[in-house]
Amino acid sequence: MDGLLSGLATVFQPLAFFYCVLGTVLGIAVGAIPGLTGAMLIALTLPLTYYMTPTDAVVLLISMYVGAITGGLITATLLRMPGTPSNVMTTFDGYPMARAGKPGRALGLGIAASFVGGLVSWVFLWQLSKPLSIWATRFGPFEYFTLIMMAMVLIASVSQGSMVKGLIAGLLGMLVSMPGVDPSSGQPRLTFDWYMLNGGLKLLPVLIGVFAVSQIISDILELGRKVERVEASSSGILIRLRDYRKHGLNMLRSSLIGTFVGILPGVGASIGSVIAYTAAKNVSRTPERFGQGAEEGVVASEAANNATVGGALVPLIAMGIPGSVIDAILIGALMVHSIQPGPTLFLTNADVVWAMIATALVANFVMLAVMLGTAGWVARLAYLPRSHLLPVIVVFCIVGSFGLDNTMFDVWVMLIFGLIGFALERARYPLGPFVIGFVLAPLMEEKLRSGLMMTAGDITPIFTRPIAAVFLLCAVLLLVWPLIGSWRRRPTSDSLAE
Amino acid sequence: MSDGTDRRVDIAVALFLIVVCAIGLFETRSLPPGTFEPLGSAPVPQAVAGLIILLCLVVIVRALRRPPAEPDGLERSWLDAGAVILFTLAYAAAMHFRLASFAILTTAFLTVCIGALVRFRPKSMPVVLIVALATGFGCQYVFTRVFIVDLPGL
Repeated sequence: MDGLLSGLATVFQPLAFFYCVLGTVLGIAVGAIPGLTGAMLIALTLPLTYYMTPTDAVVLLISMYVGAITGGLITATLLRMPGTPSNVMTTFDGYPMARAGKPGRALGLGIAASFVGGLVSWVFLWQLSKPLSIWATRFGPFEYFTLIMMAMVLIASVSQGSMVKGLIAGLLGMLVSMPGVDPSSGQPRLTFDWYMLNGGLKLLPVLIGVFAVSQIISDILELGRKVERVEASSSGILIRLRDYRKHGLNMLRSSLIGTFVGILPGVGASIGSVIAYTAAKNVSRTPERFGQGAEEGVVASEAANNATVGGALVPLIAMGIPGSVIDAILIGALMVHSIQPGPTLFLTNADVVWAMIATALVANFVMLAVMLGTAGWVARLAYLPRSHLLPVIVVFCIVGSFGLDNTMFDVWVMLIFGLIGFALERARYPLGPFVIGFVLAPLMEEKLRSGLMMTAGDITPIFTRPIAAVFLLCAVLLLVWPLIGSWRRRPTSDSLAE
Repeated sequence: MSDGTDRRVDIAVALFLIVVCAIGLFETRSLPPGTFEPLGSAPVPQAVAGLIILLCLVVIVRALRRPPAEPDGLERSWLDAGAVILFTLAYAAAMHFRLASFAILTTAFLTVCIGALVRFRPKSMPVVLIVALATGFGCQYVFTRVFIVDLPGL
């Protein structure tokens, strides 16, 4: 409790609280503009945090994370355009509700569910992070290696689209992280005798390229798309106590689903909201109303996607494993401030960790206040002409990449990865595994090599150490299960004959 | 198992990745084996590159089994995207070679880029110019005076 109180005291310092409000407002604004995502905002803000204390930086970035996930609710409801990918399920029922003359109620239910989802997952974040990090300190290199391997396979297997492409994206991210001087041997590798590559490819230009530049190109392709809009109305936005009673079970169930999906490494808010929506539909007495303006649909989707935020921070804080793509960027933010994420974070940087946990709570209250007070105005942001906005964001991408080391090399890296990210996305390669592979590969290789050094090259501890073996088994099952599933679904000769 | 991607895109991207990984494999072949540790620097990137090549071959085989998509014409939006990419590369190159100050280059870039996206409609151009000037000179002021960040350009 002392840690939490000190975290809250940090967040309520005037400057930190200003960053918390600013981050939440910016997150909501960006979340409400279709095509701009929280990952893009956080990647672009990261260079500006160099000049902040680590605590202020994490307060700002986590507030943006909370705001961005919620902000997408507004455009999903009023324009049938999910502000972020995690709000897709909200469009199914939020927009029909808005068209039926209840935009305020749809927004109110979404905001209330987002708030409850955020709070439920925060309780897990608060209670689980420390015990899990203490447990993780028992991990040796082989446990860590197999845990990361399991996380990578999990990310690839649950990513949208083909699993093979998910695996390729993850492996490509790993390969891209390898140029530079090998930290174990001091040997330059994959540098092509080019001294600029000796330090490796930095996280920030790669992130900005993959998430911001590629998104800008995709958005330009969508510029001509017509937007179906419903006028924003705040009438009915304040939800009554009886509504909480009516939707309480759904909120709680969806929040729990979102939290546990968030805890799974690399599995983000989109999947959490899909599972919660499906669960709500399955237990509903009126499943036929889903997709036509069912209140339960909005509640399930929004409670779950906000709950993934707290859930996803659990593996980040406890083990240094990102629970989502934005968490991968947060890991980069910690590393920029010379903070090594991992199980010892509670010992080495307790103030930063408790500030992160406290921010996840405070930002939820700020989000509630801002959304209830400004939802109607924020909705108008979606009408900003994107033809004007997107080139301006290109300028910020260039300044952000240049600001890292004052070198144009990083700008070129960012632009090249923007084009690569765009090509990968056109071919339906998920970008999440790419970034998480990029972040985790150095740690994974370091653990494997230090493990092999300890055992003089003997790999068998991976199979004989219980925790490592369990992680490995999970990785194998995650890899094999979809193959078995598709093999079982394949039509037999008998069924074809029928 | 198709994910709805055009097979030409699938094959082109997979071939590109194969070439990148093959170059990576070629580059790592000269790395010496480890002296203080059993694995050395080469095996991990080699294994990763090898796996990517293998999986890309799976993608290509799957793509070849699918019927080809109908060829579509070059849409206007693709021309827009191509133009923005070209302008961005030119803007970055101009900053790389320090042809002018950040404010001037940014103003020029935004005028041309946003102008192209709004088809240089005379009615829109005053707003475009205001946005370009405000962003170019505003960013220069805010980044250099408030955030004390160095900017690219002269």
